[in-house]
Amino acid sequence: MPLRIPHPEPGVPDTSGPLRYVWWLIRRQPWRVLRGSVIGTLWMVGLSVRPYLVSRAIDDGLRARDGRALLWWVAAIVAAGSGLAWAGIMRHRTMTFVREDASARSAEVLLRRLCGLGAVLPRRLAAGDVATVGGYDIVRTSHVLTLSGPGVGAVIAYGVVAVLLWSVAPPLAALVLLGVPAIAVAVGPLLRRLERAESTYRQQQGELTTRADDIVAGLRVLAGVGGRHLFARRYAARSRALLDEGYRVGAVASWINALTIAVPGLFLAAVVWLAARMAADGEITIGQMVAVYGYTAVLVVPVWFLLEGGYQLIQGRVAARRIVGLLRLTPDRAGGPVTATAPKHPAELCDPTTGLVVPPGRLVGVAADDPAEAVALAERLGRYVASDATWGGVPLAAVDLDEVRARILVADHDAYLFAGTLRQILRGRAAAGEADPEATGAARAAGDGDDDADVRAALHAASAQDVADALPNGLDTPIGARARTLSGGQRQRVRLARALLAEPEVLILVDPTSAVDSHTEARIARRLRDARAGRTTVVLATSPLLLGHADVVAHLNAGRIVATGTHADLLDRHPGYRALVSRTGGSADGDDESVEAGRARR
Amino acid sequence: MTKLPVADRSAVRGAALDLVARDRRAVAVVLALHAAATIAGLGGPWLLGRIVDEVSAGAGAAAVDRLALGIAACVLVQGLLSRYAQYAGHRFGERTMARLREEFVSRILALPVSVVERAGTGDLATRSSVDVTTVGTTMRDVVPTVVIAGMHLILLFAAVFLLDPLLGFLALAGLPSIWAVTRWYLRRAGPAYLAEGAATAELTEALTTTAEGARTIEALRLGADRVAYGTRRIAGVWAARRATLALRSVFYPVVEASYALPVAAVLLVGGVFLSRGMATLGEVVAAALYLQQAIDPMDRLLLWIEQAQRGIASFARVLGVGLVPPEPRGRADAPHGRRLVVRGARFSYAEGHEVLHGIDLTVEPGQRLAVVGPSGAGKSTLARLLAGIDAPQAGVVSLGGVRVTDLDPAERRRRIALVTQEHHVFIGSLRDNLAFAAPEATDERMRGALATVGADWYADLPDGLDTQLGDGARGLAAAEAQQLALARLVLADPDTLILDEATAALDPTTARRTERALAAVLAGRTVIAIAHRLNTAHDADRVAVLEDGRITEIGGHDELVAAGGVYASLWRSWHGS
Repeated sequence: MPLRIPHPEPGVPDTSGPLRYVWWLIRRQPWRVLRGSVIGTLWMVGLSVRPYLVSRAIDDGLRARDGRALLWWVAAIVAAGSGLAWAGIMRHRTMTFVREDASARSAEVLLRRLCGLGAVLPRRLAAGDVATVGGYDIVRTSHVLTLSGPGVGAVIAYGVVAVLLWSVAPPLAALVLLGVPAIAVAVGPLLRRLERAESTYRQQQGELTTRADDIVAGLRVLAGVGGRHLFARRYAARSRALLDEGYRVGAVASWINALTIAVPGLFLAAVVWLAARMAADGEITIGQMVAVYGYTAVLVVPVWFLLEGGYQLIQGRVAARRIVGLLRLTPDRAGGPVTATAPKHPAELCDPTTGLVVPPGRLVGVAADDPAEAVALAERLGRYVASDATWGGVPLAAVDLDEVRARILVADHDAYLFAGTLRQILRGRAAAGEADPEATGAARAAGDGDDDADVRAALHAASAQDVADALPNGLDTPIGARARTLSGGQRQRVRLARALLAEPEVLILVDPTSAVDSHTEARIARRLRDARAGRTTVVLATSPLLLGHADVVAHLNAGRIVATGTHADLLDRHPGYRALVSRTGGSADGDDESVEAGRARR
Repeated sequence: MTKLPVADRSAVRGAALDLVARDRRAVAVVLALHAAATIAGLGGPWLLGRIVDEVSAGAGAAAVDRLALGIAACVLVQGLLSRYAQYAGHRFGERTMARLREEFVSRILALPVSVVERAGTGDLATRSSVDVTTVGTTMRDVVPTVVIAGMHLILLFAAVFLLDPLLGFLALAGLPSIWAVTRWYLRRAGPAYLAEGAATAELTEALTTTAEGARTIEALRLGADRVAYGTRRIAGVWAARRATLALRSVFYPVVEASYALPVAAVLLVGGVFLSRGMATLGEVVAAALYLQQAIDPMDRLLLWIEQAQRGIASFARVLGVGLVPPEPRGRADAPHGRRLVVRGARFSYAEGHEVLHGIDLTVEPGQRLAVVGPSGAGKSTLARLLAGIDAPQAGVVSLGGVRVTDLDPAERRRRIALVTQEHHVFIGSLRDNLAFAAPEATDERMRGALATVGADWYADLPDGLDTQLGDGARGLAAAEAQQLALARLVLADPDTLILDEATAALDPTTARRTERALAAVLAGRTVIAIAHRLNTAHDADRVAVLEDGRITEIGGHDELVAAGGVYASLWRSWHGS
């Protein structure tokens, strides 16, 4: 079966435990793993052919002084070498396929999990953890699967060697058969100690990586204020702590590595000793003795493989546990079971906590004295937190969350901008075509103009055409994650354009113009109205320009809506509202004079 | 985006040798222990050859016992020596890894921020996580293995030479094919493994940014989109891995098939020697067995050559960061005075896209200048020039008669501080987050600074200054993070402050209050404030209007409003009229 990566459907992973997860990775590709086992076995058994042939060459050729026989056996040795090389590469290729299949599948299920977790993820997990899992743990876990090929081969090769030895001398076979399990039992506790040390080490290593990422992310701040050396020192201190932990791992790991050398060696010595005594007593021939040595020497490879495999299994278990931990995270649905159906048509949104009522199809402005209350209100209306808001009379928390997300969009300040061309950022990659040059070219060729009409309209509404115009390749200019190369005002307008382009039934905008100049703000305020005509829009802001264009404005004070009306209405009738939204700034303290003077001149 | 550079092969070789040289004694100990262990390991086959000879000569059980005991002793000694060799090697590897990551972080910290911005932080993050670890494990695991295997091989071949120099030459028979195919492989492996590393980095970045933007994915229902994007990266990794596998598919079988050649040659010619009485049976058998023993270390070397390729590729990426010229050390003496002067400054980020078209501006010490203008006019770029983060392509930006980019970076940051709308809360305590701006500040001063910028949330923190912030711990809202940044500024207390929308994330009322409190604390400092909220301009001594990369108006607030130009119109529209 040919290997197809990426898998169209990676399947549902078994996350009940790290080894169960590994087993799941095996179960996804049973035939490939089986082929790996067969070829692995073939290769490993093949390893014992060479010493056999060498022993025959010595016995039949050298000792018997038979040139022809020697020639034949040597030819067989060369041929066997080629055969082994073939089996070896087939084994390596198959096992690489097995590992890559597992790695790709792990990455696929992780990716899907990360995409499905949503807003809850940043609260549960540091991005550095994801980097460690993605960059390291996936590969470590896949390495465990190596055991399925050569590991099985090692066990079988071990059996074959035992049988061969049996044919020479049963006591030797008994020694081999009993010896290897005894070693495994003896090494067990050491392996468990290694697992513990390794686990702590990896944990701290992950934390250190997170620190380095943190420094990378904060470089701009450090460039502005200074204090770099302090970070270098603090990082170094943690790095030293990890170093000590690394020494501890090394102390155990080195014993295990030494044992993988000494144990098979001692084993070999014991077998050879017995064989030599038998040869001295004339029970076996010298050639047979050499063969025994060869067989047992061959056994070094499977035994080494098994010990090494045990070590990999331990590392892989630590790694798989981290993957499983990530896969087990569940999204916070912020609500109970689905007990109600969402209103079929645009409907009224109510927030009993504040008393806000958002009639369908209108542009509602909310001016909050405390910006934190505005954010909390948006979170409730968008059901990012437990909410008693209602939608067309139905509790929002009882509606299918996917439907809420599909129809109500909360566009906040910190909305993430993914890397991609400006078109992809605005529209999503699927709709805009992948970054491959041909794909973009095709997309361009397919819809020069018309396809981008909606994008241009959204950019226009967000007064952000200049952002696209200033980029060297316009909408096709690639921009890095978080769009750090754009200014704050540009980023804000790109976010707004993206939200408008999504055309949700209900759009909740949190302070959408907080970072733009007043001309731009005025333009956005005007255009936003047209762009959202007939659809429900909530703008949480204190900007008189935005509020001036709203159908209804609500004043949120101390957790309640205290006044509702048009902007002009509220300005006239409510001094509290006037103080909040008027930009004279006189409320802070007394230089009202100059403000008044400015006003008078106007 | 300009990718960060990657070091070339010779630079990697030099740096690897340097790492070894810096831990010379430890490396010597590791090598000596491994050599001793390998020699002890050779005792076994040699004694075995003796057993064959003695048994053939009709020796009794007692002689066999003695020799077998010798073999066991050799193995035990080898095991013990190799344990300590491995341990010393592991310690060396861990030390090297620590050194590498610490140096890497210092290098990152020395990078000019403009370079980091242009390259994107994703690449840098992958280099700091995946690549540093890969280099470290390579140093830790591969180097000892290569050393052991190499030494083992040398000793085995030497032993064959000692038995019979002619047989020794024959033993080298299989090596030319190995040598040729290895050369073939190494020439191609470098770029292939670099591509593999780059593909892996892209996948990691796809996963990390997906995690970072999780909320946005949910809000905009970008899940399928991100899955498709990540899936493409997975396909990219697979394509890169297939390319390296194709190389190994040639390299491995040729090398493995060559293993049999030395054994075959020795047996054939050994037969001839034996018939002419030029060698004993025991000698030929021992030589054949030594060569058979050599297969294992050759195999290990082969296995690790691949791992080493990955390590080398990662090392090239790690070292690449060091190829970026660090911020130049100061070339100039201390400035005379604090007057900030800009003359004919022009700047463009990309060829042909000039952002600033000749700026002339003088800011007297202690003056408060507000810069206003439409978004995208070049205000932030001007701030970067003033702070010395970028140098103008034409014209001069100077402080007290000295070009700001000629000042020593540390000195420059002490005199001129730039706070932007970019907020980052570092992992660590609140104290850590403040202290780097002023390491000797007392807790009292820190609390004072927080109070100045109106950080009321301080009172709600469970552990005061010891509260842990950042990734995974208590998150700060954008406004809180901005106040934190301003508190740092109060503590750093520079002569000149550049505030680029530094209060944009605060609500208008808090922003105004904070700005006034700041103004009181920082009285006498030169302040250049970029703001779209015009009350900042209203409060300033002078206002400069920047439009499309040019200063079109400059003067006092009242003066400009009276003039009825661009500023007056901005001021009017800001009020909603």
